[in-house]
Amino acid sequence: MPSISLAGIEDRLSRELVAAWAIAKKDVLIYYLRPGVIVGGVLFPLFMFLAFSAGKLATPVQLVPGLIGITTLFSASSIEPVSVPIERRTETFDRLLAAPISLNALVLGESISGLVYSVLIAAVVFIAALAVLMTPIANIFLIVFGILFSSMCFATLGTLFAAYPTENPGDIISMVNVVRFPLIFISGVFIPIAVLPSFGQMIAYISPLTYANDLIQGGYSGKMTFHPIFDVGMLIVFILIFQVIANYLYKRFND
Amino acid sequence: MHAPPVVFRKVRARSSNSCFKNPHDDDMQAIEVSHLIKRFGTLTAVNDITFSVAAGETFGFLGPNGAGKTTTIRILTGISPPNSGQATIFGHDIMRETVAARQSMGIVSETSNVYTDLTGWQNMMLAAQLYRIGRSEREKNASELLKRFELYERRNDKVHGFSKGMKRRLTIAMGLVNSPRLLFLDEPTSGLDVESNLIIRQMISDLITGGVTVFLTTHNIEEANILCDRVAIIDKGVIAAIDAPEQLKKTIQSVQSIEVAFLDGTSPTRLDELRALPMVNDARKEGDKFKLFTEDPSQVIDAVMAYAHDHHTRVISITTLGPSLEDVFVRLTGLQRGGGISAID
Repeated sequence: MPSISLAGIEDRLSRELVAAWAIAKKDVLIYYLRPGVIVGGVLFPLFMFLAFSAGKLATPVQLVPGLIGITTLFSASSIEPVSVPIERRTETFDRLLAAPISLNALVLGESISGLVYSVLIAAVVFIAALAVLMTPIANIFLIVFGILFSSMCFATLGTLFAAYPTENPGDIISMVNVVRFPLIFISGVFIPIAVLPSFGQMIAYISPLTYANDLIQGGYSGKMTFHPIFDVGMLIVFILIFQVIANYLYKRFND
Repeated sequence: MHAPPVVFRKVRARSSNSCFKNPHDDDMQAIEVSHLIKRFGTLTAVNDITFSVAAGETFGFLGPNGAGKTTTIRILTGISPPNSGQATIFGHDIMRETVAARQSMGIVSETSNVYTDLTGWQNMMLAAQLYRIGRSEREKNASELLKRFELYERRNDKVHGFSKGMKRRLTIAMGLVNSPRLLFLDEPTSGLDVESNLIIRQMISDLITGGVTVFLTTHNIEEANILCDRVAIIDKGVIAAIDAPEQLKKTIQSVQSIEVAFLDGTSPTRLDELRALPMVNDARKEGDKFKLFTEDPSQVIDAVMAYAHDHHTRVISITTLGPSLEDVFVRLTGLQRGGGISAID
């Protein structure tokens, strides 16, 4: 049996992170400007937001957190549903599967590209809101943490769905939308959780967008449903659950 | 412009993965496969195969389409798990020590799976980073390999502008960026132009000289015959034969042949007439020549001469041939010459 030392584990961890970053960089270079990604990650959340906010007498403080929330949801989960099926078709995905890295590193690398994309788009929304609407901010750290953790969570969700063995991005985008759309309505983005029926409120607690939205709302208004540490903790739990399920699905479907 | 040939370093028992360093690497077989079985539903794609490949050996893995070659490679590279059996790469179990096993191998798949939206250089850098090769080493390796494969001048061009042969060369260069001790080569020269073919074959020869273990899958049986120390022929998921090419040919000495060309070329009826000669088991037309299969070449030569005399023509060349590796392949896999043989070349 080969011996495993602490230095060996460090070496292994470092190897995994380098590979994950290489995979993420590759996605940045190839997929960020793909039409499918721009439509799903930028235009879609914008139109969704306009559809539900236009005509309402709401202040920027009420509207901007919702826009940032759905932006992170859609943009973070838009990269992998496009990139992975395309790479299955071109068989470049086999190159990643056969690399000397674990599936965890592969899933992490794929998710990081969604994370970076989402953070960039959310930052644009944040800065634009600040510059144009002069949105007041109660606690910027809550907004930053909200964007970071929700982006990673939804990016991992996108990677999870991309495990489905198809070479057609449309198949995966359709499946992701089945989850993304209901999340918007049960997570307090447009409809406060308090006014949801009790069944809806129960479902809201199993939506990661609820906790992301709570953090971002808290950052702008100072009012929160949960403690920020609880929100961050829940998002981390969702990230880990999605990572484990994604890992399992990639292993199963690549056979 | 031809770049000076790169001497591939002799690489023995070298592993940068300190986490899994094994003190007995030097004595290991490059590949050891034991009773491997892989099923897809009711189909048994690989059925209890056992073989080993020595370090430094060039091993050909031949078989008709759907015989189980790709499935075997997917198992050996850790992409697909077997239902039962074991496979080790330089002593590392591919299922339990996947990362360590992969660290010493390079993989060139049948498809040129390069990122066409990236440049040649970016592709090389990505491949190297997946093996965690440091910046200076990966840049040095990438430069050497791109020069070796005559792609260096185009390194900053996006790959979607490359020809099929250039993409193939880049795929192989990416497979070599970690200086592997074991290289899986799946159909390296299939359907390529002459220039790319020559470059790739020279590269394979250099690798073999450099002591790299090569696991070669090819439909080009003559390529396997020339390059491989041993070949395995797999059919319907079972290893039908495994030996050195010359040893395999000896097993079917009864399949000898006469290659003959006539002064007046071919005629529509000649093939059937030659097939009807005594002691001729089978005949086929190959360009302006006929190949007659027999167990007794001397009798057939006499019969061919008599045939030429009777039909008022002359034999302009006649050659006695031993069995080829293709003959062995056809015999073992039960393929039919003519329509069937097209599947293997």
